[in-house]
Formats: sequence, structure tokens, C-alpha cells
Amino acid sequence: MTLLSATLAEPQHFSLFEKLLFAGLAIASGCGFWRRFGKILDKILQSKKDPSFHLFPIGKRIGDFVWEVLFQAKVIRERPLPGLAHAFVFWAFCTFVLVTLNHCAVVLGLGFLNPAGQFARFYFYFAAAFALTCAAGILGLFVRRFLVRPKWLGEKLSYQSGVIALLIFVLMATYLASFFVSDATPAARALWWLHTLALLAFLPLIPHTKHLHLVLSPATVFLSRGTFSQIPPLSGDEDFGLVAGTDLTQLVSLQAWSCVECGRCTEHCPAANTGKLLNPKEIVLGLRGYLNEYGPSSEQPLLGKYNAQEAVFQCTTCGACEFQCPVGIEHVPILVGLRRGAVNTGLWEDQHGAKLFLALERGSNALGLSPTDRDKFIQRMELPLFDGTQEYCLWLGCMGGYDPKGREIVLAFTRVMSYLGTSYGVLRKEKCTGDPVRRLGNDLLFQQLAEANLEALAQNKVKKIVSICPHCVRTIQEDWKEYSTPPEIEHHSEFLARYAHRLPKQASPNPTSPETIVFHDPCYLGRYRNVYDEPRTVAALAGELVEAPRSRERSFCCGAGGGLAFLGEETGERVSHNRAQELAATGAQTIAAACPFCNTMFRDALAATGEGVPQLMDIAQLAARGLPQSGSS
Amino acid sequence: MKIVVAIKQVPERDAQVRIDAAGKWIEESDLQYALNESDAYALEEALQLKEKHSGEVIVVSAGPERVGTTIREALAKGADRAIHIGCDDLGARDALGVARLLAAAIKPENPDLVLTGLQSEDLGLGQTGVIVAELLGLPHATLILHVERTETGVTVKRELEEGWFQTIELPTPAVLTIQSGGNKLRYATLMGIKRAKTKEVRRLTAAELAVDAAPVVLLEQVTLPQKQKSTQILPGTAKEAAAALVEKLKFEVRVL
Repeated sequence: MTLLSATLAEPQHFSLFEKLLFAGLAIASGCGFWRRFGKILDKILQSKKDPSFHLFPIGKRIGDFVWEVLFQAKVIRERPLPGLAHAFVFWAFCTFVLVTLNHCAVVLGLGFLNPAGQFARFYFYFAAAFALTCAAGILGLFVRRFLVRPKWLGEKLSYQSGVIALLIFVLMATYLASFFVSDATPAARALWWLHTLALLAFLPLIPHTKHLHLVLSPATVFLSRGTFSQIPPLSGDEDFGLVAGTDLTQLVSLQAWSCVECGRCTEHCPAANTGKLLNPKEIVLGLRGYLNEYGPSSEQPLLGKYNAQEAVFQCTTCGACEFQCPVGIEHVPILVGLRRGAVNTGLWEDQHGAKLFLALERGSNALGLSPTDRDKFIQRMELPLFDGTQEYCLWLGCMGGYDPKGREIVLAFTRVMSYLGTSYGVLRKEKCTGDPVRRLGNDLLFQQLAEANLEALAQNKVKKIVSICPHCVRTIQEDWKEYSTPPEIEHHSEFLARYAHRLPKQASPNPTSPETIVFHDPCYLGRYRNVYDEPRTVAALAGELVEAPRSRERSFCCGAGGGLAFLGEETGERVSHNRAQELAATGAQTIAAACPFCNTMFRDALAATGEGVPQLMDIAQLAARGLPQSGSS
Repeated sequence: MKIVVAIKQVPERDAQVRIDAAGKWIEESDLQYALNESDAYALEEALQLKEKHSGEVIVVSAGPERVGTTIREALAKGADRAIHIGCDDLGARDALGVARLLAAAIKPENPDLVLTGLQSEDLGLGQTGVIVAELLGLPHATLILHVERTETGVTVKRELEEGWFQTIELPTPAVLTIQSGGNKLRYATLMGIKRAKTKEVRRLTAAELAVDAAPVVLLEQVTLPQKQKSTQILPGTAKEAAAALVEKLKFEVRVL
């Protein structure tokens, strides 16, 4: 039992020379750290203040901090093995704060943990356990980065990461080895010095490498806007979005320097996965490069040397990047901010984009059709007009009001509402909610559309809205808030799930092999609204659910979001084809969608795929299929 | 290059138009208004000429208070200043009456070019621009798709019928009426709207311009087009029906 009776060996006496050497090295190391870190901190603090930033409510911030930073929950959940290895390194660092302070204090004769004392004995062993798992963890991460080499880490091998891994390993190994020697031996002294040198070499490397996230990312997570993909309001007459360095806010700068280059954003990005120029990691690193070269008071345009306009306009705003990011970077507000900067100043010239904007400047819908088309649809289908007596205002949206397939979804949903005896009415006039122009960065048009709609809803005394389109739901509920309080709104999946127990469960004609259904999570319903189970509950009425490899929080975009449905041909592979093939490959007989945009994207993609593809239905159509055929409405 | 663009605010293309009680004009309350489409192209042509050759673009518009929103839109897209001729009886004025207002406001500006849409979407007379040219004593060309500046004036591309175009040269100053579709229109931007706030809008009245309001053309009555269904089912085999269809397209509808 020599090991257990042993404890951490620390040299008891240090010569004056050693003390001076330590002090000199420590000061040099601290200066090395600050020389770089001080500059970065300055640039972050010199950036424009975030006008809409509120520290409160602080409870959620603390909760997120504990969950994401202290528990490393996001790091582990999204990539379990490397995540756990990282967590072991992180937890060891936390444990080692006390050990390291004591380690440095010893040389000055100020050691406060007495190795013979009970607490110190316990704590040194406690830390040793973490040192073991940390050493194993860092070895695992080293193997992953240098031997396995997942492509998301980038083409180029980061030798800095190798040096850092080596230093961390040395720190842990020297600590553990100190349990096997006794205090007064030269071995103990050698281990102490080795540990010290590794430590003092590590410190100045931090701000020069991506390991800066050690210092910054806890703050980034704590200070993030906190709500998913929240586009901050513009402030004042000279704010047009992210145009130049002067528009970068403290949060954006902090986020740019927090990036740890893990590539999770890229791994899940629909654009990066289909051969487009956009790579969300490079957008963030581009901002960092800009800040390094020009700084936050530069008038140099942000779209230029470091970030390309083309890439910025390839984003579908699906939010997979932001959802994955372990250090709290909010990619979507950054990408939309860069678009705002280009569109609000007229720098973005795109034939399809201009057509969409002009259609909405003059008309009412993103499809550029006459509103009389919508009037005729309402008359022909005898949809009741909202008059204040009905429970719900049924928001048709551009797709539900004008697109033939969108209309089918609306009609299926109205059949279910009538079956359930829920009263509803549609507005006589409706404009596009402004979703595509909001995400494309046209604030002028978005404001006009939001205000016109808010006024119409107030005039009609609408209290509750239900919509078949997750984009309408998100935009009305969150984005319109900038101008006034919108009525309560829900997506039809939420409504249908609430009444699922009153809807007929559909028997399969062949009970041994029920219809298999794969549900595609729309980005704006899942990640944006956190609604995953409701549409599945509805789809399960019609058959047996199967899951696609990428589902729920990790769902892969259909390619339509962020206004891209209106922007014409993509470069590279089509996002919709990539996803439709994945859904078809599950072997399901039916693809269930819950968004008219996903629906139309997949319809085209499946048509291009050819024979033997699954049928495509909205969950409302699946629910309506089980209703009694006649006299039900 | 100093360019004046005469623009008109018209009911939105998709507006449900109703006839007013007197039967002489449309019911204006409840209507949404927008910039006349070919005027939007005239403005775009002017802005592109200015961007190429520098100079000034001045928009001029006659109409009631509501015209202000369309004027601001034009300023937001890049016009430098505006003249608003306040006038509540635009519907009662004939093309000559409106042209007199515009010409009186344009004359003191001494522009190199006056551009306007070839016709308005509401009345569709297609005369105002031409009469303005006559009143100002300037040469004019109509149905213009493209304007190129030359040493002595401009070279313009006119649209003729059946896909034919004509290129002609004019000395400046001149008046051109612009056809839709020659350029790609720009979208309005937030920056443009903010900048437009500080741009000058000079307000004039018909009285100040000393223009006679008495029309020479009297508007008797405004009516909605009568809807009539004249569907014909052509009987017989596909071959016979096709032959009958060609016959009708040739001699009844005269489109072939």
C-alpha cells in the first residue's frame, strides 16, 4: 500500500536562484499571454455595444452556463466520444485550479495545501483521478486529430494543437508521477520543474491559438443572446446591419475569437455539404481575420477580403450550425447581419432577389401572383372569412393561399378542424409575413410587411392564429415583436397533436405490414420552435414511423429557407435532392412533411429521382385521410 | 447631365377598382397606390444615366398629398430632389391640363433630358409626355427602351411592333417616353429611405404655376368593362376541331 500512504511529492525548499528563476519565467509567461490577449480584449471592448443586450433574466444564463460549460452537455451530446474526452480535459482543468495555485505558491514558501493534511490528501487524490482521465482524454483527442483526421477539422493539420496536447499530457503525467517519489529527492524537484515549465509554456500559447476558447468561451456562452437565431433590431438611422468593422458588436467580436475550429457547424451545414462556397466556420474565422487585420473601428467593408458575398447568400438559415456550436457562436444573426449590410445599402444585386423584393414592394405575396387568385380560392372553397366570432384565424400564408399544393394542405387541415368542431376564419387580405425578406436582410420591406399585417390583425381583432407554415409561425411570433405584440400563434402540428386522441387511427389494409412513414423535421419547426414530438404524434395516426439518419435536432434542411426558395439555381448538388434521397433511402412508403416549403422542395426533388419514390404528404393530409369520407365537414 | 423624370402615382395593379357615385371617376378611398410602372423604368433609366455620366435626377409629380409616398420612394431609389405639384383634381384634368402643370414646373429647371413613362396604368392615354415636349418646345421620342449619351445629344432605341426596333439620334434637350422592361428595376433600400428624408421636396400649386385648369376634353362617364362569356365548344374529331379552330383564329379573332 505504498501508493495510498504516499501523497503528492513537493520539494520543500527552493534556493534563491530557483525562486528568482521561477519569478522571471512566470512574469515572462504572463507577459507573453497578456501581450496577445490584451490586444484581443481591447478589440472586443472597442467594438460597438450591443444595443439590445440585456443581462437579465440571468437565471437562464446561469442555467445554460452550468449545462453547456460546466457539464459540457452540448459538447458530449452532439459528438459523444470526442465530447467525453474533451469533458475529461475540461473537468481536470477545473480541478487543477487549486492544485496549480498551490503548486506555484510552494516555490515562494506560501503553499496552502499541506500534503500531510486530510483535505489536501483527499484533494490531491481527487485531482489525480481527473489527471488520469484527462491524460487518457487528451491522448484520444490527439489520436483523433492526427491519425483519424475527420474532415471537419480541416485539411491542414494543426501542429499547435499537437504541442498543446503534449503540454497537457506532460502536466498530467508529471503530476501523477509525483505520487511515486518522495519530497526531498531530485526526482521530485525535476518533476516539479517539468510541471512548472509545461504550465508556463502553455499560458502564452493560449491567446495565439484556438485554445483561446479556454478563456473566452465560458463568457461567450454566458453572454449569448440566449434565444435561437435571434436577429437583433437595428439601432438608429445609421445602422444597416453588418457593413463594416464599425458595425461589429462586442458579442460578434467575442464570438469571432471564441471559435474553437471544431467544424461541427460545417459538418451539419446544408450548403457546405452540397458543394457550395459557404462554410459557417470560415465565416466566423473570416470575421476574426478581419478584426485581426483592420480592427473594430475600420470602415473597410466586411464582405471582401475575408468573407464573400456569394457565400453569405447561400445560407438557408436552417440554424444547424448555431444549434451545434459548443462555444455559443450565433451564426444565423451573423449571416443575416452580413446580408442586411449588403441589401440595406443596395450592394446586393441578384436578379431573382430583386424580383422577389419588387414583387413584395408592389404586391402582397412572395410568389408574385395577383391577390385576386387568393380571393378566388377562398370563394371557390367557401372558406369562412374571419369576423371575430371564430376561435382561430387561419393564416394561409403565400404557399397556403397561392400554391396549388399548399392549398391542398390548407384544405386538408380545414377538414380536420371542421371534424373537430373548431371554428376558424381566414383574413380577407393577407400579405407575406416577410419571412424571406427578413432572412435575406431587407429590413425596409420586412418592416412594411410586418406593420401592414399587424394592423390588419388588430383591425380584425384576431386573438389566436394557426398556420400550416413554420416560417409564418416563426416570423409572426418572434420577428414581428420588433414592431408590436402579435397575436398568439401555433403551428398546425401543435393543434393537431392536441386533438390527436379524437382523430381516427388509420388501420392498414395489411395489418402485418403497416404503412411506414418517415417524418422530416422542418428547421423552422424543430430547431427554431423546439417542436419535434407533435408532428410525429399526428403522423403516427396514419402508420408506423421510421426515422431518417439525420432527424430531430440534427435534421437536414430542404434547401428552401432563408429566402433561397426564391433565388433560382444553386451551385453544386441541390440541398433538396440530398435530403429527399436520404428520406427515400429509409424505405418508408410515405414522407411526411410539416412545412409547405419543404413539401414543394421534396416534390421537385422526388420527381427528378424518378420511379418508385415514396409518396409525399403533409401531416394534415395524413390526419385528414382517416376522416369519414362524406358529410364530415 | 440634368434629368427630370415625371412620375405618376396610380392605383396598385391588383386593386379592386369601383366607380364613384357620380360615375365620373373611381372611388379613391380604400385604394392602395403605387408608382406607375413605365415611370419606374423612366426613373431607372435616369438613375443609370446619372451613375454613368454624373449629374442630377429630379422627379416631378402632380397629385394630392398621398403622392408624397411615391415621391419619397423615388428619392429612396436615388433621385436627388423632387417637385410635388399639389393638386386634388387630377382626375378632372385632361392630358393637356396635366402636361401644362408638369411643363410649367419643369421649364425653370432647364434639364438636358425629360423622361417619363410612355403611358399611365390608370388612364393609359399615352399623351402627357408628348404634350410636355410640345409645350416645352423640345424634340421627343416615344417607346424608348434604352438611352445612350452622345457628344451632341442622345441615341435611343425605340420599340416598334412585331419585335422590330428603331435606333434614332436626338439633340438634347429632349423629352423621351420610356417603355417598361428596358432595364432591371432596383429595389428600395433602408439606406435609401433614410437618406431620402433629408432630400428636398419643393411644393408648388397649380395657382402658383398659373396654369389654366379648364379641360379641353370632357370626361362623360367611367364604366367597368362588361364581362361576357363567349366560350364555344368545337365539335367533331380532333382533326375537324383543329381545322375549325384555325379558321376562327384566322378570321374571327385574327391572331394568326
